[in-house]
Amino acid sequence: MTDYELSVDGSRVEPDDAWSVTWLDREAGLARLDNGSRTELCLVEGSGTDWIVTLRGRRIPVVVRSWRERVLADAESAARRHDGPIEVRATLPGLVVAIVVREGDEVAAGATLLTIEAMKMQNEVRAPQAGRVAAVAVTAGQAVAAGTSLLRLE
Amino acid sequence: MRKDGRPFRRLLVANRGEIAVRIIRACRELGIESVATYSDADADALHVRVADGAERIGPAAAAESYLSIDAVLAAAARSGAEAVHPGYGFLSENAAFAAAVEEAGLVFVGPPPATLASLGDKLAARRSVAAAGVPIVPGLQVPLVADGSGSLAEVDLTGIAFPALLKAAAGGGGRGMRRVEDRGELEAALPGAGREAMAAFGDGTLYLEQLIAPARHVEVQLLGDRHGNLAVLGERECSVQRRHQKLVEESPSPAVTPQLRVELAEGARRVARTVDFHSAATVEFLVDAAGGHYFLEMNTRLQVEHGVTELVTGLDLVAWQIRVAAGERLPEAVMACEPRGHAIEVRVYAEDPHQGFAPVSGRVTAWRMPEGPGIRVDAGVVADTTLPTEYDPLLAKLMVHAEDRPAAVARLCRALDETIVGGLQTDLSFLHWLVDDARFTSGAYDTGLIAEAWGDGQPLTDEDRCVAAVAALAGRGDGSGGSPAAPPGGGATESAWQRAARREAVGRRQPR
Repeated sequence: MTDYELSVDGSRVEPDDAWSVTWLDREAGLARLDNGSRTELCLVEGSGTDWIVTLRGRRIPVVVRSWRERVLADAESAARRHDGPIEVRATLPGLVVAIVVREGDEVAAGATLLTIEAMKMQNEVRAPQAGRVAAVAVTAGQAVAAGTSLLRLE
Repeated sequence: MRKDGRPFRRLLVANRGEIAVRIIRACRELGIESVATYSDADADALHVRVADGAERIGPAAAAESYLSIDAVLAAAARSGAEAVHPGYGFLSENAAFAAAVEEAGLVFVGPPPATLASLGDKLAARRSVAAAGVPIVPGLQVPLVADGSGSLAEVDLTGIAFPALLKAAAGGGGRGMRRVEDRGELEAALPGAGREAMAAFGDGTLYLEQLIAPARHVEVQLLGDRHGNLAVLGERECSVQRRHQKLVEESPSPAVTPQLRVELAEGARRVARTVDFHSAATVEFLVDAAGGHYFLEMNTRLQVEHGVTELVTGLDLVAWQIRVAAGERLPEAVMACEPRGHAIEVRVYAEDPHQGFAPVSGRVTAWRMPEGPGIRVDAGVVADTTLPTEYDPLLAKLMVHAEDRPAAVARLCRALDETIVGGLQTDLSFLHWLVDDARFTSGAYDTGLIAEAWGDGQPLTDEDRCVAAVAALAGRGDGSGGSPAAPPGGGATESAWQRAARREAVGRRQPR
């Protein structure tokens, strides 16, 4: 048994002893994994509890936590759940070209909230969960940086 | 051509990214000094570093730099260049730019401005190509809306069979393109498509074509000189597309029979004859399930995927563009060139294929490209590159060449296994899936492949989760230094497999 708890993409995973790890370049995080029948080249990036493993081109988020870190994180997320509203933020810098919703609108999870033009494409920003639009923080025509709060859902 | 045998002494590269690097390489081989152009977002970019000289052309926004005719011309004048290569995209098919370059006394590496003007209007091109006896996709011969305003009031849509494809008259690259199922969807799609077309081309004019599906996208490569010689250099299959934009190209096309190849070549010749053409160009066709073909458009510039043709023909298309621009004749070796073997290109984009291929931003942390026999990589980035968000998210083109298609697919699998990009999500996860997919490996795919077979992507398998977990644990356990706090009741501070991993890692570092 490992002392660490591992979760991949949000769900708990038990590591399999069949896989061996060979570092090809420890500094760069380049490793080869082998279980006798399959060999995979992986890139391992991250620090502390949060890691990203790039496997066959796919970035897979992995949380590696000690018992103590898990207890602390659980307490923190329990506290956050009581806060309610969620901020919808821009994942890319770009130009807000259209705002589909207004304050007070009830939206379903996945509903289009607004459109941001970035990298010459129109990208729709969707609701991460159902809720009511509490406030819209941007206007059409406004340039936004990555991480800019776009609107708040309750 | 100059007395010293060089086509030009100095050439301005009016582009960025991998294609700028590609043109600079051709210049170097031809003994031409290359001058890169860059916006403020690209001051430290690879194409600037590898060029002989560089000229700043403005701020990050493309409209004020790479798309600014005045800024690029001023840079050309400052640099003392004799010729300008526009690459693809940006100003490459802009007739006003080509004319301005010639008026400034410089050579435009591309066809005459009048040719760009006549082909730039896709609607006018459809009319003249139909008149030349080449089949075109059924659809409107007149603009749907001239300004992208969204008003459909006066348009006669009788004779249009839905589903249909809304397209930008000034378009290319899928910008402004929308599939519409009926008149209602068409009206709803107009504003967004018009805006996208306006942003990409400065012209929001849209038209409508019947949707041909299932269809394959096959294009014919042409190379012409200023003396009337026209070489037809085989076809490329470009049916792996998302958002009507190509992701994978190969030559020859697995769908093209010898008979169809002759017909496509003849069609491409006829299309080229409708205009005064020299330099490199591509004539694009749709091929339907019955093998019928329809002219789509002629692009009078270098294509992103030109390398596929270079691999099977052994020709340097960029060098020939430059030599032809200087007045050289295409020799018999080019005119009679017979393609050999099979080549496949995959495009590595900073896009998340599990999020609808949405572009992502960030910094490229790790960058490891494949090597070895039959591999070519045209890249615009290196490790530690922060991607500007203003431009196309193409990072690199990975190409393979082998004696036949199965060998090329096997080589592509091997190449992808050697490829590592860190720091941001790329479409490599899709490409890994693609090279295992039976439709692709058999060659029996069409333009619906991604939408129908990939959709929003593949779920993570349990084994993938396990590999990721083991790798992340090794990342933490093997390098973080500190020992983790143990749960109450104690327990080993190092698992058996952690010890095994460490042993293995240590063992590998020792010389054998």
